[in-house]
Amino acid sequence: MPRYELALILKAMQRPETAATLRRTVETLMERGAVVRHLENLGERVLPYKITKHNERHSRGAYFLVDFYAAPDILPGLLNHLHRDVDVVRPTVLKKDDPVPSSNCCANYGKDLVYI
Amino acid sequence: MFQVIGGKSVQVTTAAAARLLAPRSSVLVEAVRGRKSRTDPKAKSKEGRIKVPPPVDPVEMVVLKERYTEYQLIMRALRLEFKEEVLRKKYEEETGSQAEERARQEAEEHRALMAWNDQENLRLLKIRMMRIQREEEEAERKKIEAVLKREQEHQEFIKEKEKEILQLQEDAKHFITMENLDQRIEEALDNPMNYNFAIDKEGRVVKQTVLK
Repeated sequence: MPRYELALILKAMQRPETAATLRRTVETLMERGAVVRHLENLGERVLPYKITKHNERHSRGAYFLVDFYAAPDILPGLLNHLHRDVDVVRPTVLKKDDPVPSSNCCANYGKDLVYI
Repeated sequence: MFQVIGGKSVQVTTAAAARLLAPRSSVLVEAVRGRKSRTDPKAKSKEGRIKVPPPVDPVEMVVLKERYTEYQLIMRALRLEFKEEVLRKKYEEETGSQAEERARQEAEEHRALMAWNDQENLRLLKIRMMRIQREEEEAERKKIEAVLKREQEHQEFIKEKEKEILQLQEDAKHFITMENLDQRIEEALDNPMNYNFAIDKEGRVVKQTVLK
């Protein structure tokens, strides 16, 4: 199965709500037959620009990274679901390439850098 | 007026002896009428003309005739001598004593050359056979090598895939499941990661960036 990563920008919320949203998201993924590999938190930061979503203007967001294995045909449905979620500001699913064989450069800080 | 047809002398071909001895004339002529036809009247200046042959001196004639007969006799004899010599030479060429020896030698040479040719052919055949054999062996060896190499590559591929599978099995222990979902969420929320860093050509890393 190909390997995807979901770059998730959530609304700046309190911790329990964020946890609940994350749990919801991961459960959705697993319901659709994905295998979640890792969940990373990239911190809560100022968004590069103000984003308006679900009638609300966001200037700060919490960045999360979920990498998972899934079949390609669930992605449209998944994205649709995530767009409808009120707490999700911006979902982005990217395909993950195979890691290049590590050479003599700075590739040791995270084999898969994500540019947000 | 006579018209001359043909060249000065007929060429002598060495093909047949008959043609060699045939009489040859130096000039081949034909009677041809000039400007006037048979029914035209004679010209006025030539009406009473009586053609008179040139006068002949009898004494001179006799002397000349003698000399001429002698001369022609000698010339004819010489010519016949020469003709005979030519014929004899030709005959000897074809069926003389030397002809048999030469023919025999020719046959001998021919046989020798054919034998040499056969030898050469045999030698080249041997060389060719050896070369073909060597090439066949080479091809055989290459084929076996190729098969071996393919086999080896296949084995290596299988090993690689097995290694990957094992690696994946190892990683699978750390995947998120329903049970450790909450725990992982708590863990993630507690440890924010930061992938922003700067690096220069010497390899010095700068991790201090603006996060919030």
